[in-house]
Amino acid sequence: MSATLKQGLTEETVRELSDARDEPEWLLERRLEALASLDDLDLPDVIQTPGRRWTNLTDLQFDSLVDPLNQSDETERVTAEGVEVLDFETALDEHEDLIREELGATLDPQSNYLTALSAALFTTGTLIYVPEGVDAEDVKIRTEMRSDSLFSHTLVVTEESASVTILEAIGDEGSPVTATGEDEGPAADDEGRYFSNLVEVAAGTNSNVQFGSLQDLSEDAYCYTLKHGIAGDHATINWIEGNFGTQITRSDVETELNGEGSESQIVGSFFGHEDQHFDVNARVWHNAEHTTADLVTRGVLDDTARSVYEGVQDVGRDAWDTSSYQRENTLMLSDESEADASPKLIIKNHDTEASHSATVGQVDQQDMFYMTSRGISPDQARNMLVEGFFVPVLEEIAVEEFRDDVEALVQERLA
Amino acid sequence: MSSDQDHLQQTDTEERFDFKKDSEAAYAADKGLTEDTIHAISDDKDEPDWMRERRLRALKQFQAMPMPTDWPGQPDLSEMDINEIVPYIRPDIETRGGVDDWTDLPDDIKDTFDKLGIPEAEKNALSGVGAQYESEVVYQNMLERWEDKGVIFMNMDQAVQEHEEIVKEHFMTNCVPPSDNKFAALHGAIWSGGSFVYVPEDVTVDMPVQAYFRMNTEGMGQFEHTLIIAEEGSEVHYIEGCSAPKYSAFNLHSGGVEVFVGENAHVQYSTVQNWSKNTYNLNTKRALVEQDGRMEWISGSMGSKATMLYPSTVLKGRGASDNHITIAFAGEGQNIDTGAKVYHNAPDTKSTIESKSISKDGGRTNYRGLVHIADGAENSSTAVECDALMFDNESTSDTMPYMEINESKVDVAHEATVGKIGDEDIFYLQTRGLDDDDAKQMIVSGFIEPITEELPIEYAVELNRLVELEMEGSLG
Repeated sequence: MSATLKQGLTEETVRELSDARDEPEWLLERRLEALASLDDLDLPDVIQTPGRRWTNLTDLQFDSLVDPLNQSDETERVTAEGVEVLDFETALDEHEDLIREELGATLDPQSNYLTALSAALFTTGTLIYVPEGVDAEDVKIRTEMRSDSLFSHTLVVTEESASVTILEAIGDEGSPVTATGEDEGPAADDEGRYFSNLVEVAAGTNSNVQFGSLQDLSEDAYCYTLKHGIAGDHATINWIEGNFGTQITRSDVETELNGEGSESQIVGSFFGHEDQHFDVNARVWHNAEHTTADLVTRGVLDDTARSVYEGVQDVGRDAWDTSSYQRENTLMLSDESEADASPKLIIKNHDTEASHSATVGQVDQQDMFYMTSRGISPDQARNMLVEGFFVPVLEEIAVEEFRDDVEALVQERLA
Repeated sequence: MSSDQDHLQQTDTEERFDFKKDSEAAYAADKGLTEDTIHAISDDKDEPDWMRERRLRALKQFQAMPMPTDWPGQPDLSEMDINEIVPYIRPDIETRGGVDDWTDLPDDIKDTFDKLGIPEAEKNALSGVGAQYESEVVYQNMLERWEDKGVIFMNMDQAVQEHEEIVKEHFMTNCVPPSDNKFAALHGAIWSGGSFVYVPEDVTVDMPVQAYFRMNTEGMGQFEHTLIIAEEGSEVHYIEGCSAPKYSAFNLHSGGVEVFVGENAHVQYSTVQNWSKNTYNLNTKRALVEQDGRMEWISGSMGSKATMLYPSTVLKGRGASDNHITIAFAGEGQNIDTGAKVYHNAPDTKSTIESKSISKDGGRTNYRGLVHIADGAENSSTAVECDALMFDNESTSDTMPYMEINESKVDVAHEATVGKIGDEDIFYLQTRGLDDDDAKQMIVSGFIEPITEELPIEYAVELNRLVELEMEGSLG
């Protein structure tokens, strides 16, 4: 497809962007390659049923909002002992070979139109490199978006037997989860903002990654994010995602279990209100023997908010002795909201134990009755039950600050 | 049961479905599909003009619609060329609309249905029977006591002539319009045969009525139309059986089924499909259910090269309910893509979907289903349960449910599991003296029991026998 961007999207723009950052030639080449591929690429797949398309991705407004040369962000990075947590420019200086090898190796920049756009235009990002045997906790990256559009790329590489827990948070002015939490910088204009984030995780043999991400952009923003990990032998990749902000978010979280005995957990949570629209997707491919996956998504919808969920458990021919589970639960607080879900199983090896379940409903009336009979007001009872609904997600979070943030955002939304 | 008996039973059943007859047609349309084809069919049937117009309109819609190719994981339809299909064959019988005595049929056709066991079943367990050979119903009969109560069971072509007003109102209008999908449009253009069932108010037809569809000629298409109208407070169980011998060229079956379930009425529609494995089976089946009515779809898909079948129910009236039970068994070279669609368009509506699938020897099954709960359909509930059993590493089992929930006061649950036959279960049965094959067969019989117990005993036995044959890989 082709789109017309606000500032025009030409080779010159990309060269200018790359020159300004003093990038090596190979990186410029890759940006140009991604740019050239745009014409041949389509937007990501969206579920369609008779007469309905679950999300209209052109509503993400990228064509009108993207302004490649005026990207700006304020990012705070907290490292842990033994780990390299570097902004992209520094990382290029210090680990050029590593980046050249790993950038785009896990997540194909030409997966779709929006990933290619991101690969051509990203100006911010982080390298998290965990050397062999290092066990690190609580790496934190908090980014505040300060421009109409921002493209970010995060690359996580863990060497053999390394372990790391990470929180990546994105917000804009006034959001409690970002760097300053203060209302600084230019406010978004009337049309909103477009944030694009690609995350790739290359988990080496026997390594362990927990990648948490928290999105609390203002509600006139649009967000596209694709997170893709490849797990080596006996490696574990756990994703935890919280979506609270934006007008429309399209999020894909994916793991390829390519190593024998590898594991992945994909935990998603969202809380939509007013006319927010979340299109969240969790996918896992079992490509090797003895792999395990667990997909857990919990979401709450209020007002006219809408959620769209696709979960895919794909078990390949060679994935002997697979265990794969998926659960999706949506709580509807309002009659005007809508929850669409499609949990899919694609199984090509019979030596598999696979299941999925999905539920949609309102707050349990018996629970409400019990609590109100104990003298708790209906509003308070409902709020407690909603907070409780998120507990299975909170329990999986390793980074304490992340847990606190999610709890605070849930409470704020209920207030 | 001794192995001798096993052998006998198996040979018997196999022969029953896979024998061929030389075709002696009174009229056969040319291959392909043009307006001339429509006129030829309509002329041969001496149809009223409005039906001819509907056919022509459907043909235009068919020609304008693209082949469905973009469904994730759908069966490959690229080898199916509509222009290679013979759309209409009228067998050489004297009585148009079907005789009511088997002995009045030409010997080869009578012999066909004898082998399929239809006259025998009629004697024992059915209220009425219709039998279609190629494009026309050749036998139609119903017990007198139902006729006396005003129940109508006749072939669809005859109904167009004799019950013109009611057919005109219901035939492919608001239940399954030809615009629904490409194969519904094809069906609307060249449909022939099928059943018309009308059950008056408060009549309960307590034994099932059955229609049996047989394709005999290589490269033909069968497009029978079934229209069931159950008035307020009535009840009927309709059973459909299908088979064809195997040829090297493909056959196409594209049936259309429309069911109108009146207030507080109850319709059960059961199908055991055993088309030969060169048949594309692409059907559109839908029921509209009024207040407190109940629709049940029971489907066993055993045969065909590729099946795409998603019986759907629209719950229009408050308190209406739906129950889907489906079983799919895909062996070598088969792709069985089946499921259910339910629209909850009124409060207090209920649906349950139970799907069982078995894939073996490189076969592929897919459950594809949609549950839609409209805004305002308060206190509705739906429960979907899909279980799949896989035999080997060459087979594929997919589950693709879609849920669209626009109402908060609902109870929506979906569950699915996929797995292999448990080694422990087999071991247990072996310690009780069963060999490996018998043990597997017994586990599969248990797996599909929720379906077989819903069918009249003759059909349950039939289904079990077909499963046994599939398990032995001995059915063509």
